[in-house]
Amino acid sequence: MEKVQFEQLGEELYYEKLDNGLDVYILPKKGFSKTFVTFTTKYGSVDRTFVPLGETEPVTVPDGIAHFLEHKMFEKEDGDVFQKFSQYGASANAFTSFTRTAYLFSATNHIYESTTTLLDFVQQPYFTEQTVNKEKGIIGQEITMYDDQPDWRAYFGSIENLYKNHPVKIDIAGTIETIDEITAEHLYTCYNTFYHPSNMLLFVIGSVEPEKMMAHIRENQAQKTFAEATPIQRIEVDEPLEVNCVANELRMDIQKPKAYVSFKARETHLQGHEMLKQELAIQLALDLMYGRSSAFYEEMYEKGWIDESYSYDFSLEKGFGFAMVGSDTNHPVELENAIKTVMNESEAALPFDAEKLERVKRRKIGFFLRAMNSIEFIANQFTRYKFNDMNLFDAVPVIEELTMEDVEQAMKSIQGITQQSTFTVKPLKEAK
Amino acid sequence: MFNTTEIAKGVNVFTRKTDQFKTVNFSIKFKKELSTKDTAVRTVLTNVLQHSNAVYQTAASLRMYLDDLYGTVMYLDTTKKGNEQIVLLNVETVNDHYLKSGDVLNKVLDLVHTVLFKPNFTNDLFQSSIVEREKAMVIDRIQSIFDEKSRYAQTQLQKIFRPNHPASISVNGTVADVEAITPQTLKDAYEAMLQYDDVDIFVVGDIDEDKMVASLKEALPLEDRPNPYKKVTFKDTEPLTDYKKEQVEMRQAKLHIGYKAPVRFDNPKFFTMQIFNGIFGGYPHSKLFMNVREKESLAYYCGSSYVSQYGVLYVTSGIEAENEEKVVRLIDEQLQAIQQGDISDMELNQTKAMLKNQLKEALDSARGQIEVFDQYRELPIPFTVEALSEQWDAVTKEDVQEIAKQVEKQTVFFLTGMEEA
Repeated sequence: MEKVQFEQLGEELYYEKLDNGLDVYILPKKGFSKTFVTFTTKYGSVDRTFVPLGETEPVTVPDGIAHFLEHKMFEKEDGDVFQKFSQYGASANAFTSFTRTAYLFSATNHIYESTTTLLDFVQQPYFTEQTVNKEKGIIGQEITMYDDQPDWRAYFGSIENLYKNHPVKIDIAGTIETIDEITAEHLYTCYNTFYHPSNMLLFVIGSVEPEKMMAHIRENQAQKTFAEATPIQRIEVDEPLEVNCVANELRMDIQKPKAYVSFKARETHLQGHEMLKQELAIQLALDLMYGRSSAFYEEMYEKGWIDESYSYDFSLEKGFGFAMVGSDTNHPVELENAIKTVMNESEAALPFDAEKLERVKRRKIGFFLRAMNSIEFIANQFTRYKFNDMNLFDAVPVIEELTMEDVEQAMKSIQGITQQSTFTVKPLKEAK
Repeated sequence: MFNTTEIAKGVNVFTRKTDQFKTVNFSIKFKKELSTKDTAVRTVLTNVLQHSNAVYQTAASLRMYLDDLYGTVMYLDTTKKGNEQIVLLNVETVNDHYLKSGDVLNKVLDLVHTVLFKPNFTNDLFQSSIVEREKAMVIDRIQSIFDEKSRYAQTQLQKIFRPNHPASISVNGTVADVEAITPQTLKDAYEAMLQYDDVDIFVVGDIDEDKMVASLKEALPLEDRPNPYKKVTFKDTEPLTDYKKEQVEMRQAKLHIGYKAPVRFDNPKFFTMQIFNGIFGGYPHSKLFMNVREKESLAYYCGSSYVSQYGVLYVTSGIEAENEEKVVRLIDEQLQAIQQGDISDMELNQTKAMLKNQLKEALDSARGQIEVFDQYRELPIPFTVEALSEQWDAVTKEDVQEIAKQVEKQTVFFLTGMEEA
């Protein structure tokens, strides 16, 4: 077991790669009574075309399958796993993103028992045609619930606009039609390919004794046998730089229109330190261009073109990345143009200087320090960073070192005019 | 858990020194009796104070200063609790200890003073352009509830289930109330708040408690309250109807049901009611989750929540419109089962374990420590995890069955899509 110290943050991280390839990290947190454990596979909705374990030809599986698999992991021959966690007073949950599926629990008691439950239920698949079909009704209702959420529709509408081929454009949960195609056999194919310990990470944080917990996990894993670890072959798609669709709209039963402008990233193949630098630089630039202390924000707020729903964000993963800026607004066209103008003008010169950059760097450092109070944040983000060969605890030093040149260079990724798209959600009836 | 100091009559500081967090958290709460006429003006007031003061006249200049203070988070909001309406100012700032240069804490306290005591007045009034802009923001907030269909369904249920009752009063007020606000009425509400409201100030972090109390006294020069606020009790009101259906353009129907709960927070049976709620629909092991979702596949979510301050219980679910009757019947059956004593040892023990765990977990965040303490300090028993656990542990199946018999379904609200022509 290795131990890494992060002195400025006062944190100690323990690490071990187990014989079966599983990466285990343990971070004890003083003063906390709860322990939070996440067990995550590097497998999400974008992993739809791949070569199944032990085969040679790639297959494409139905949309929404990673999320479907996440649901079905909780049902076993002897019942529902939630019941077991509840007996220990543990709250269990799971989520599926574009690139990850995470299973987790938090508890203040019986943490060894719950850790065993977590490891065992994720490592013992049980799928039958009957249980798979039963889940279709439940997930169908999850899908229709999201269908009625205008912000979710605007988010996915924007991504569909940006991407022509990349599977990030497909809704994580799939559609009623695609999940209907899913069979138990599909689930086993995906499970066997992506749930090998060497493709997974276990993170334990909170009120925990590192040596004892590591021994407990090691012992649990040593009792199980797994196939030989083989590299996973994901089939990448060709994606042009320009957007799929420059503008689109949707009508829903809402009061006020929603306007989003999205920017597709050019640079999406960085990993490790370079990716961390790229991601943080773009986030800082967006803070300065679109943040709540920016001239843009103030002007839009004064004009009443944006309201409290206003948000902006940048997401970067291997193979795709995008920035989004938007708000509920009665002036969708004007707002969209104003958002684009800020981005287009930044190509000639960024609308801020080194002094202003220092200010948002300070804010971002404060954000990371505050986030160190949240064991959920640390566990989820640490895993995401690690899957991209980055280290969460490097974020503060990397921010400190970022220069104007770094930010200028990074912003080139999203500045091109052919990389922009707008998506508007409008009320059924035009306001008078 | 917290040390209390009264710095003026009706103004209390609650401090908690701990090195558990890397930040210092403040929560300042101005409280008065909840009434429809004040909610709108107090909400607009929080928006105005949040966006402009005499020193930082624009929201951007205030934000920039907060950025300088290592991204100190500061926001104002209005909430309600029982029969109280609360204006709150929450602040979270990094602990000087983790920074190369210190003194952030004193600057933050100065800023709190500025935000609350140095309003941006022109001719002795809030600027009308700012007031109008923030009124528009609050109106948008009220109207946007419609766009989120489950929130809309819940507000519609509350209106018919508990009319003219604190449970259905919105802290944002109504559009008409917001429209009627003038710079003068806003100033009146602002001055009344500083002068008459009871004030609770909570601080959690690695602080020197005596010094903190002295600094707060300086930053918040609040005088004795002439009439410290006393809790006013309120009675349940009768529902307007037992069933209402509304149609809008949407895919998933929302089923929201209101029940009268036999006890409120201040009743010793409160703990039994919490356990009932956990078994009925509070957790993934509950009867609603296991039957409506897992067994029958009729919903993605179906759960219950007990709002102890108002003595009510809600069941909410998202379903196919055509399954309405079936789901209502299944939900009724789960309540009947508990009323008939169909409660397993496992359900009872799971629920107790979950309640204890939730309480302990809430205490792992500074905000959680403030909110849990603020709620439970009204109970006559000492506030410790052990004391509360004892209360839960003492509850038997028979107790749960007995209380379930007094839970009374009163109103169903069904929000659904337009029927096909």
